[in-house]
Formats: sequence, C-alpha cells, structure tokens
Amino acid sequence: MEAFDFLVPANLQHLATLLQTPGRKLIAGGTDLIPSLRQAHSLPAQIIDISRLRELRYIREQNRIVHIGALTSFRDVQNSRILNEKAPALVQAAGQIGSPMIRTRGTLGGNIAHASPAADSLPALLIMDASVTLSSQKGQRTQMLCDFLLNPGKTDIHSDEILTDIFFEKPSTNCAASFVKIGPRRGMTIAIVNAAALVGLDNDGRINQARLSIGAVAPTAIRCRLTEQALIGCLPSEKLWESISSIIQEEISPIDDIRGTAQYRRRAAFILSKRALNAATQSLQTRMQA
Amino acid sequence: MKKIRVTLTVNGHTHLFETDPNRTLLEVLREDIGLTGVKEGCGEGECGACTVIMNDEPINSCLVLIGQADNSNIETIEGLAKDGKPHPLQKAFVELGAVQCGFCTPGMIMASKALLDRNSHPDEEQIREALAGNICRCTGYKKIIEAVQSAAEEMSHE
Amino acid sequence: MNNLRTVGKSEIRVDAWDKVNGSAKYVADIQVPNLKHGVVLRSSQHHARITSIDTREALQIPGVIAIVTAKDIPGEAIYGPIIADRSPLANERVRFMGEPIAIIVADTVEIAHQARKVIEVIYQPLSAVFDPEQALQTNAPAIHPDGNLLSHFHVENGDIETGFNAADLILEDSFSVPRIYPGYLETEASLALWDEEGKLTVWFSSQKPFADRHTISQVLGMPKEYIRVRMAVIGGAFGGKEDSNMAVLTALAAWKSHCAVKIVNTREESLLAHPKRHPARLYYKVGVKNDGKITALQARVYMDTGAYASYGPAVGQLLTETVPGPYRIANVSADTYVVYTNSPISGAMRGFGSPQTNFAYESLMDMLANRLGMDAIEIRRKNIWKPGDRNFTRIIVNQAEALEDMLNRAAQSIADLKNISPAPGKQSGVGLALAVQTMGLGRGVPDDSTHQLEWLPNGKVLVRVGAPDLGQGLNTVAAQMAAEALGIDYSQIETALVDTAISPDGGVTCASRMTYLTGNAVQLAAQKLIDSLVDEASRLLGIPREKLRYQDGTLMRTDLEGANPISAADITGRLAEEDKQIIASGTFSFPYGPEIPDHLPIGMPHVKFCLAAMVARVEVDLELGIIEPTHIVSINDLGKVVNPILAEGQIEGGIAMGLGYGLSEEMLLKNNKQWVSRLTEYLFQTTQDMPRSMETIMLEYPESTGPYGVKGIAEIATVPEAAAIANAVYEATGVRVHRIPIQREDVVFVKRS
Repeated sequence: MEAFDFLVPANLQHLATLLQTPGRKLIAGGTDLIPSLRQAHSLPAQIIDISRLRELRYIREQNRIVHIGALTSFRDVQNSRILNEKAPALVQAAGQIGSPMIRTRGTLGGNIAHASPAADSLPALLIMDASVTLSSQKGQRTQMLCDFLLNPGKTDIHSDEILTDIFFEKPSTNCAASFVKIGPRRGMTIAIVNAAALVGLDNDGRINQARLSIGAVAPTAIRCRLTEQALIGCLPSEKLWESISSIIQEEISPIDDIRGTAQYRRRAAFILSKRALNAATQSLQTRMQA
Repeated sequence: MKKIRVTLTVNGHTHLFETDPNRTLLEVLREDIGLTGVKEGCGEGECGACTVIMNDEPINSCLVLIGQADNSNIETIEGLAKDGKPHPLQKAFVELGAVQCGFCTPGMIMASKALLDRNSHPDEEQIREALAGNICRCTGYKKIIEAVQSAAEEMSHE
Repeated sequence: MNNLRTVGKSEIRVDAWDKVNGSAKYVADIQVPNLKHGVVLRSSQHHARITSIDTREALQIPGVIAIVTAKDIPGEAIYGPIIADRSPLANERVRFMGEPIAIIVADTVEIAHQARKVIEVIYQPLSAVFDPEQALQTNAPAIHPDGNLLSHFHVENGDIETGFNAADLILEDSFSVPRIYPGYLETEASLALWDEEGKLTVWFSSQKPFADRHTISQVLGMPKEYIRVRMAVIGGAFGGKEDSNMAVLTALAAWKSHCAVKIVNTREESLLAHPKRHPARLYYKVGVKNDGKITALQARVYMDTGAYASYGPAVGQLLTETVPGPYRIANVSADTYVVYTNSPISGAMRGFGSPQTNFAYESLMDMLANRLGMDAIEIRRKNIWKPGDRNFTRIIVNQAEALEDMLNRAAQSIADLKNISPAPGKQSGVGLALAVQTMGLGRGVPDDSTHQLEWLPNGKVLVRVGAPDLGQGLNTVAAQMAAEALGIDYSQIETALVDTAISPDGGVTCASRMTYLTGNAVQLAAQKLIDSLVDEASRLLGIPREKLRYQDGTLMRTDLEGANPISAADITGRLAEEDKQIIASGTFSFPYGPEIPDHLPIGMPHVKFCLAAMVARVEVDLELGIIEPTHIVSINDLGKVVNPILAEGQIEGGIAMGLGYGLSEEMLLKNNKQWVSRLTEYLFQTTQDMPRSMETIMLEYPESTGPYGVKGIAEIATVPEAAAIANAVYEATGVRVHRIPIQREDVVFVKRS
C-alpha cells in the first residue's frame, strides 16, 4: 500500500497529543481499516497504532456499572465472566462477528467507531443504554451511544478525540437479553439484519422493561422506542410478539443492497425482533422459575 | 516515509530489522523472512489463507501492519514440525486426504492448531466454528474436519 | 482386476507433505535475482473507446522501468483459444470493466501502483449491454464487428412437432443461472525471466502450458523454441486457468522491460477480470404423456459469454449436448445462442455448460412429476437411458445401466432422509437430481495426451506427466497407474511438474479426461519401457531377449535354474555409467472412431459420458427463507476408483461448489454499476454452511476404453447440487424457484402451491 508514517504513542496522553494534528488515522485491530485502505484512493499521511495501549484493554465492574476498554477484543468479550453475566447479548454478538481470527484482533471500540449500520455489537450495546467515553487533551466527555451514532460510518467523535471506554449499568430489575443475526451465509458473515432485545418481568410476569435494538435497517443501529412502549405492561405471548409487526415498520427505514432488499429486511426485522424478545423472555422465565 | 525498527520472533528465531511501515506482517514473513508457507488469498481477512499464530492467538497476517507485530511471537506452518517430527495435524491432514491443491492448507492447519491449543477435545461444531474463517475451494471441508478430530485424538494420548 | 497392487488404494498424495510443511512452491512464492514487479492497469469503463493513454508522468517516477500498451505488442496482437478476438492489452477499445490496458513494470509493487495511479486514460464511453437477449436486439450496442451473436448451435433429433402432438401435458418454463467464479484460493500469477541465450521462461499456474507457450510465441513474435513454460504447484483451477491472459501479460512485461517480471493478480482482479462460468437463461418446453413418458423437449438457451469469446463456443456446444439430460427422448430440438455482452468474460469452468442445463431439466422433471401426480423417482425411471440407448447426438451412452442402480440407491436415501423430522420451527424437504457430464473435447478437436516414463539409475521410475496437476491429484493417480502398469511399488515412482522444455505434451487438464487419458498413455509407455529394459538387459548381460522375463520390476532368466533376479536398478545403474537412459512415452487419443456421426460442427459430439445422482435434504426457516442443506448423498459412477480418498475429495469439494451455485454465489452488476469483486460480496460456502452429513457412493461400472475401467469425476461432482436443493426446497416450502442462487425473497414472498 501507499506510504505513511507509523506513529506509536506510548500512552493515552501521548496519543491525545498526536491527535491534535488532524487527518491521522488510528489503527487498532485493523480488521476494518486495512480493507478500507485497500479500497481507498489515497491513504492518510500518518497512521497511529493504538493496538498496544494496554490501559484501554479491560473489563471491570464498579458500583454496578460495567466498563469495557475500547481496545477489548471480541475474543476477550466472549471469554469475559463479567460480560457473560451482565451482558449476555453482547457476548452472543461477539461470537458471531467475522471469523475467529477477526475476533482475536477486532475491538469493541473499533466496531463502534467504524459505525457500520450492520455492526453486530451495536444492538447489543444499545439495549444496555450504553454510553461511550471520549478522551482528548481537553479531558473526557461521555455520550449515550444512541446519540453518538450519526450516520453510516459517522459518529459524533471530534477530530482530536479517541473513544476510550464503553459503559453501561445493568438494570436492577429481573431481566434477560438476547441477540440474533442473519447473514447471507452462516459462517463469517455480515448481517443482513441483526437485533437485540432485553426484557424485564415483574412478579406478575408482565413486561416492565422492554428494549429492542435493530441493526442494518436504518442509517445507524437504532432503538425501537415506540415498539418498546407498546410492550410495557403486557403479558408476553406469541400473540403479543405478532402484534408489534406494524409498529416496528414505522421505526425502521431499510434500503436495498447487495445482501438483501428493503422488503426482505422489513420482514426479517420483525421476525428477528420477535425471536430476540421471545428468547430473552424464555430465558428470564426459566431463571425466575428456578 | 520513515522506516521503523521491528523485532519479531518467528518459529523460535528472533529477527531484528528495519522496514517501511506500510507493509503487513504477511508481506514481511513472505518476502523478508522467506517463509512463503503463509499465503495471500485476498488481502482483507476474508479467506484465512494468511492465518498464523501471533502471541498464541490465530490472526490474519494480512490485517496486521508490521509495526503492530513488534516484539511479537509468531508461529507459522514452517515451525510446526519439531526435530523433523511432523505435528499430528500435519500427519492427519496428509493421511486423511485433507490436502488437495494445498493453498488453504497452511492457514487451515494454523487455525486448527490454535483451536487445539485452547480446546483439546473440540466437537464437530466447535471445529467448524474455529475454521469458519478459512475458505477451501477444493475439499468441501469434510476431510479437514476429520483430520482435526484425528489429530485431537492422537494428541490426547501423548 | 482383482489383484491390483496400488490402483484402488488411497495412496498418499505425492505432494501432500510439501503442502503441509509449507515448502510447496506456488508461482507467487518463486524468487529470482533482480526480479521486477508488474501491475496491470485495467479499464474502469464497461464499454468505451480509448482516445488516449498518457504514460509520461508515470514513466518519470523513480523505479518505474517500463509501461506496456497495445502498441508495443510485437507479434500477433489478437489471440483466443477458439476464436481470435482479443488483444492482451486493449487497443483503442475496452469492452468490459477490468479489461487490461497497460502493464507497469517497476522495482516494487508499490512503485508500480503509484505509477498506475497517474496514467491518464481518456475514455469515450459507449453504451453497454449486460444481458444476452438484449444484446441480440437490433438496437443493441455492437461489441464486435461481426455482431453480438458469437455462435448459434442447433441440434435436433426426431420430429419435435410430432412429439408435442403426442403429449398429454406440455410444460413451458424458463430458468436463470448466475455468473459464478471458479474461486481457486491461489489467484492467477505468472513470472517471466530471460536466460543468457535470450530464451524466455514463463512460470504460470496454467491448465495448458503447451498451448500457452504457443500463444506467447505468437504474441511476442518469437519462435516457440525460445519460450519455455513451467509449472509450479497449482492452487486450484476449475477451468479458470485455461485462459492464457496472465502468461501473455507477464511475457509482454518481460519482453518490454528486458527484466524478470512477476505479476500476481489481487483477489479483486481475479474476481473481476478472469473468466467465469457462463450465466444463462434457459427456455424449455417439454411434452409428456400421462404415464410420465416424455415425448418432446425443446430448449432455447441464451448464454452471456461476456466481452470476448474465450471458450464460449465450446461451452455452448457442450451445453447443447446436455440439454435433454440423461433421458431417452425421441424428439428433441435445442438452440443455444452464445452472445457477446459487456460483462466480464465467461469461459471454462467446471461443468462447462452442464451445470446450467442441469438446473433447468432436473427442476422440470420434478415439475412434471408434480403435475402428473408421480413421484420424482418414478418419472425418472420412466425416462432414463437404458443400456444401448443413443443420446440425441446419436452417440451410444456408455454404462447407461448405472442409472437404474443410481435411482434405486437414491430412492433408498430419499426414504431414509424423509424419516428425519425437522428441527422445531423448520420445514424439511428432500430433493433428487440426476446428472450427465461429457468427457473429452469433442469430435474433430485434437484430443490426445502424451506422457513419459523414465527408468532412473536407482531403479525408481520418473513419470513426466504431460499435463498439469491442478491440485486434484493428477500426478498421484498417474504415479499409481504407472506403478500398476510396471508391477512396482507406488513408493518407487517419482513425478515431475510440467516443463515444456522437458515434458511431453499431455494437452490441457480439463474436460474430465486426464485420469482416463493419462492412465491409458502410461500403460502404453510402460509396455515400451519394459521392452526397452529387456532390450538393454539383453545387450548388457549378453542374454537373448527370449530368455528374459520381466516381472514386477525385476528380470528373471528363464535359461538358468536358480538364477538371481536382476533388478531394474542393476540395468539402469549400468546404463547411467554409459550415459544412457531408458525413456518411453505413450500417447493416447480419445476414441473418436469413424462410426461417430459427423452431422454436427467440429467439437461435437462428445462420445463418453459420466453419470450421477444426488439426493439433498434441506431444512427451511419459512419465516426468513433461510435454506440449510443438512444431508447430501452423492452417487457417482467412476468406472474404476483409482484412489478412493482422492475421488471422495473431488466429490466433496464439488458438493461445496455446487451448493455455492445453488445458494450463495453470484457475481453480478450492483446498483452502482460496479461488479461484485470482493469476497465480502462473493460468498463461498464456509465450514458452517456445509451439510453436516455428506455421503459419497462411488460405483464402478467399468468403461472398456478406460484404464482399469476409469471414467471421469472432476466435473460431474459439481453438477446436480443446485437442482437437488431446488427440488428439496419445493418439497419443504411449495415454492418452485426458477433462478439460482436461490433468493430468500423468492421463498418468503412468493405464493406457495
């Protein structure tokens, strides 16, 4: 590929300084960047390697809030005891991204920053009301992930910022989550549609928490808030899941592309939402009975 | 373009060199270190022909800039046999017909080794999942999976 | 036949160890001193005139050695394997996106890329057409001076009108099959270098080194004797490496720059610009009696051959011959149109016309059965070839009795698979498809193959196989058949890769014929080799020829009681001291006898056939239209299985490719008018997509002209999958698909019957 200078910051502060100069690209796992450099007409003059910043690779829980360092790999996510407990949908999503080699190198921060509408980690994070932390020389700020994602390939990151942390709080009520994805084939595939659902039930078995996020049906992965509202207070049933069909359609705006038509995506968005909601509910009901 | 210094341990040998940073680990392994067992099949992580083990994990070497591999430990197909004795995976691939044109083979074997290094008794679905990123156009994968199962069996008796 | 020592055994592949330890060298792995790198500038337009190519700025870049364009071509600028219609570098006109325009030779690939970016090509776009039926309209853009119809083949038998009049039911339908990519893991690569005598060696992973040598010599205007084509290990071909383009480009680059040059295609270039399987639309009309007997079949097929002819006419011929499938139909009429468009080139790819028709006629068989209330097995039983039958090109079908056997086995498999209940929420279905594949190149096309044996001083025998091993294992089966013919151990055989300077001309590895031709040729060569050994032994030992008897690698003296056997090494070792060798070659020609009818154009008909049956079980997620093949049973007649593991490997790999054809692979023009050219969009089957149960049944109905009864397996292995899946999907969903790859939209949104 074309020439570039390779900069390796020793730590976050050094990185923040390097980011003062615009036009530089960051490389973490390289699983999105290198393919895009291959297709690009021209390359940035400098590429900054952040893959060795160990301080950004962690998963911890503090005061009920789970923090994930941006450089956490999908393999780390799959193997994390904390996430298996507190964010099972994210673990399910991580296991369906790319191939084992991609999961070794691909990072959560990279998946978010690349902001593909079809990115698999996003629905799983959006149902957790996740936020991101952005760091720069000026300091830190946080933003809800749903506000951070703007358009295909575009986030609200400022040119001197780096995404350093993803965090969420697991809801205090009894709840369970599930992630589903379909691609044009089973192995190593990009999503045609993906979806994540989180369901909470009160002691009468009625839904008191409903979060649904669908990817690849809008310019960004989205939360289906109208659908969620419609589910609150209801008893879960096959009939209930069927009933959300038309509301979901109001919330999504899929397009035709090489992987599927808009019409198919509309159907798939509904089916996957049903299945994710149902799986989350069943998992919770099983746990509550135990 | 400023050159960078890289230290790379490959199959137990440490190499120190200076190179342009706009090269991938794949290119350096093939061109500078002369290990042409690792192959380029697509250059974007979609075929697995370039799979090597880096710091005990399977990776696509076409997706790693050489600077990112500084101070890393790399295992390639050439390093599998120990003291002239083939690795059980190599033996199984040969004996069970898992090799046809051979182009996917080095990557396939390294991905298989990465699996067996962390799971010594994988079931069929786990093998398929571990190799889902390695495309083969010749075999239909059946004998490859049998070879991995056979190697796992043999290794469990060692 | 029963006491074969190595034929029939799963001997270890000759190159397996090299491949598992990383020492097998493919062309891209070859390093030579002072090697330069070539990169190809390709057309960004589908169809355009080139008004100018400005290379001045590019030539200024330090490290750029030369840039080659069409005006540099020293010899014949136009070539082609069947019709010469293509210049290796576009001359004033580009006809498809990806067509080579210039080659940049530089010290590094990176510098060549830099130079490529600043070459200015001025295009004058012309309107483009991508559909063969549209390309035949009068107002379609003309792609070649003689019009867009490259070839038309018409073959008929009996009387189609009488046939339809006799029918109780007539079905008419059309089917559509995609452009697919051979998809070998090793992209096309070539390396050309000069020696001190001004001779050019070209390394190329090719299916036809001798033909490439000829093409290179024509294009360079150099005598053939000055050009040497050598094979390295080949990383798969499947027909895609029958095209000389890479070798010619590399030779031109070396010629212009006077340097050693290597060119390796990126995956994108390979996907975009290298030949693919012909997409086609097939219009069928079939008449059938209520009892299931087909009375008439008429087909019109439009094949998109892309911008240049490549093997289009030959594919068209083979396709036409397979139009009615393995069925005895008295009245058949087939018209095949091979049409130029501005699509990337279609050419040779595994099956060569038969996968296309198979999807149509096997879907139709089930549709007919359905309408008549018969089952899939019964309607086929009513119509399959019987022993002694001639097909519609009037050729006797070899071992047609295998079809009955295959149907019986298929019926059993279908019954077993139907008993399996689908997973919750899924529907299951079981489908059947039969298949026929031709062998050989067709009447009138030189179809012979020469291979050579050399008895080495150490007593081993070297087989110089004259045609390339593509990775399927040709050298291995050649070694086995040589060992068998000589009565020696497989371990005593060595093989060499093809080198046109040393190897005999074995022809092109293609057309399901190499095991058959090589085995026959090797048997002939072995006999001559043994005769020579006896002759030399007689001379060296002073024993009359008649007193020497050859047996399994040794010579026995029949004149002396208790004499020690003389090993071959004893003789060849002594000959080596005299600087002599024992070498023998054998040539076998595909048997086209004078009785073969000649009413059809050269290249038709084919005279030997392979037959197969396949049963597929699928589970379908009806809500999402996701089709999961769970079981495949592939029943093939190989005549004689030379190496069971290798043969199974061919079949299993063929299944993966066939499932890709039916379910996931398509190279199409996207909405943004760019072709699919990345592996994120062109989807091979992965480990997780493949059926968890794949059973291969290999029958042996010996072909009398084949060595040990051998027939071919390479292509038929990948023919019936798409139809078997489509038929299974129909049973599971009530949806009859008319195109492949099967679209989920077609399953989910279409009315069920």
